[in-house]
Amino acid sequence: MKNKLFVMLSVLILASLLLSACGTPATEAPAVATEAPAAATEAPAATEAPTAEEITLTLGSWRVDDVAAWEVITAAFHEEYPNITVKFDPTNPPDYNATLRTQLETGTGPDLYFVRSFATGRELFDAGYVASLKDLPGITDTFSDGSRAPWSTEDGESYAVPIIAVSHGIYYNKDIFAANGIEIPTTWEELMTASQTLLDAGIIPFANGTKDAWDINEVVMMQFIPSNIGGYEGRMAYLNGERCFNSEEMVASFQQIADMQPFLPTGFEATSYYDSAQLFAQGQAAMMLDGSWSIGPFEKDATDFEWGVFYPPALEGKDQYVTFHVDAAIGANAASPNLEAAMTFLEWLESPTFAELLGNNLPGFFPLTKDVPTLSDPIAADFMAFNDAAKGVDIRFVWEKLLAAPSGNVDAYTSLNNNVIAVLKGEKTPQEAADAFNSDLAAWYEPAAGCAP
Amino acid sequence: MSQTMSSAKRREGLFSNENRRKITWVLFLLPALLIYLTFMAVPLFDSLRLSLYQGEGYTPTTFVGFQNYIDLFTNQLWRGKFFGAVRHTFIFFAIHMVVQNSLGLLFANLLSSDFKGRNFFRTIIFTPATLSVLVTGFLWTLILNPNWGAVNKILVAMDLRQWALPWLGRENLALPIISLVSSWQWVGMPTVMFLAGLMGISDELLEAARIDGASEWDIFWRIKFPLLKPIIGIVSILTFVDNFNAFDVIYAMAGARGEPSYSTDLLATLFYRTGIAGEHPVGIPNMGMGAAIATVTFLILMAGVLFWLYLSRRQLAEEA
Repeated sequence: MKNKLFVMLSVLILASLLLSACGTPATEAPAVATEAPAAATEAPAATEAPTAEEITLTLGSWRVDDVAAWEVITAAFHEEYPNITVKFDPTNPPDYNATLRTQLETGTGPDLYFVRSFATGRELFDAGYVASLKDLPGITDTFSDGSRAPWSTEDGESYAVPIIAVSHGIYYNKDIFAANGIEIPTTWEELMTASQTLLDAGIIPFANGTKDAWDINEVVMMQFIPSNIGGYEGRMAYLNGERCFNSEEMVASFQQIADMQPFLPTGFEATSYYDSAQLFAQGQAAMMLDGSWSIGPFEKDATDFEWGVFYPPALEGKDQYVTFHVDAAIGANAASPNLEAAMTFLEWLESPTFAELLGNNLPGFFPLTKDVPTLSDPIAADFMAFNDAAKGVDIRFVWEKLLAAPSGNVDAYTSLNNNVIAVLKGEKTPQEAADAFNSDLAAWYEPAAGCAP
Repeated sequence: MSQTMSSAKRREGLFSNENRRKITWVLFLLPALLIYLTFMAVPLFDSLRLSLYQGEGYTPTTFVGFQNYIDLFTNQLWRGKFFGAVRHTFIFFAIHMVVQNSLGLLFANLLSSDFKGRNFFRTIIFTPATLSVLVTGFLWTLILNPNWGAVNKILVAMDLRQWALPWLGRENLALPIISLVSSWQWVGMPTVMFLAGLMGISDELLEAARIDGASEWDIFWRIKFPLLKPIIGIVSILTFVDNFNAFDVIYAMAGARGEPSYSTDLLATLFYRTGIAGEHPVGIPNMGMGAAIATVTFLILMAGVLFWLYLSRRQLAEEA
């Protein structure tokens, strides 16, 4: 009898543990949504002022680290438009897409929110959650078509104001370079020779590792690809099906990954992104391939030595292209009761005031306006200088069209990531990795169907 | 109980005392039943229903019948991920059974005898189980870190550089290592349960055996072990259920993708990635498929529990 009861209990418990997980998003929604009503209730209290109604807008974002900077930015907006207050309300990055989706589906979304580029953002627009910006004054004049493209339809209808781009490069320890007589390399071959010199001197040349997987893909592999394939035009050749994903340019990129392997830390397989940053900041590693978003953290942590950035040089005979990735835009919630005020804020985002506030309060995050303001942070200015020195700039290779595969297929991001790690671990040669990447994509990306092995 | 009965006796109404007694117990159950139905049973059946749908976001609307299940078992990618997760979960469970529960039995046996500092050791063994998995997972990740972790520092100091491996970075090492960390954390649980069982064994039995000249080894295998069987059964089934739902330790030490290269991907992490979080960087979940994975996991668990029920029933029948 006791046993029977116990079994019944355990069956019930395990069933509920396991399956109730599916039900949680719906039940959690009210908790997530408490912000919105709070914002709404503030408005009536302020109606006593006869001139203009006071409106509070919430701004959803995945940038939890940037609260202080956004407070400065929204305060500047409030000064210009005293009746509108914008409250920056970020969500933890890995949860952002899911949380935002739940909020929008339950009608409790923020008035304004960060929109991811390409497929992820487009899906929200197609579902009717993001307001169209085709009537927003000035959007076509302030931003180039290239900057608007990740957040517009094929007909050029915008649905979010592009605000942030990030760049990539190699952070290097100037003291270590000087002590070993190394100049900034101008070709890939020179970089490899310099790395060998460092390794012989007992210094870890590159701090990067693969434990977190994404960083080796986004800040290493996708920095190499543009110079090999010839930037935007080269990328279009893949997207149109003129080139296969195992072309020699792609094999060359995987080869660069293989070249780097001996110069990664011992145990790079278990070295996380955070570990890499620590290795560099403590002066144990001479270089780290990373994104411009790390300027802030390194300015805080790497204080014992001089450091700077340079761009990974192209292979001999190739032109240099820079990965300047459009990262974030802000859109308005189509269901917001304060849509008009939200549009006022979006229009303000086009102003030079905002571009300058953003570029200088968030070093490493670059405004996307055509007229780039002067940046006060020297490293951020160095990153911007890469763009002028390069033959061209382009976004990360897989972002456009290749991120979302139909269910049961491997998307380009995951495939590239797995194959890069397989090359680093010596499980695949660069050619095998490129072939695997190609066959993963040929299975579902129609223009590449002819590339199937 | 007697109070209700006496108050029931005093009243004369529509129901006879006999009928009243039959109804009262339902009233006692009602609050718990309501809570259970609202928060457990309804979501459970809703999840079963959800596994028959496809669509974007959190409210998939296209009814597809068993297509999610067909995909799960026939599509090469899904099948690979799913059976990989099943295999890893079994390994994870097996290591817990062998390491955690054997050690638990050993510790319980040692702690049940009288010696100085017994309470100290009891506390020490149980302490990790009171800490958050995220905290212990993070600490162990630091201890096992290849660059500055204590384990590799010690190995290098002992001149065993070739043994200083990237523990959490190798496909063949990461899962056993994480299983051992989890076993270390939870070893206190079986210890406590076995200890309670051993305390329940009458001293007279053990004394009689000693007088008959039985060694400690004999006493363990011929007296303690058979009497502990019901507890071993309960501990096993709890380990089974816990480990087939395990998520947090993998999430803390290897991330939601079950790094390296999905080699630590368990059913729960696969479910989380598919049905809740979506894959980086897109992060759009496939709720229908997630629910299908959860349902299959539920069936595996149910099969395990029913098997155990069958075994314990048979054992009861034999004893009777």
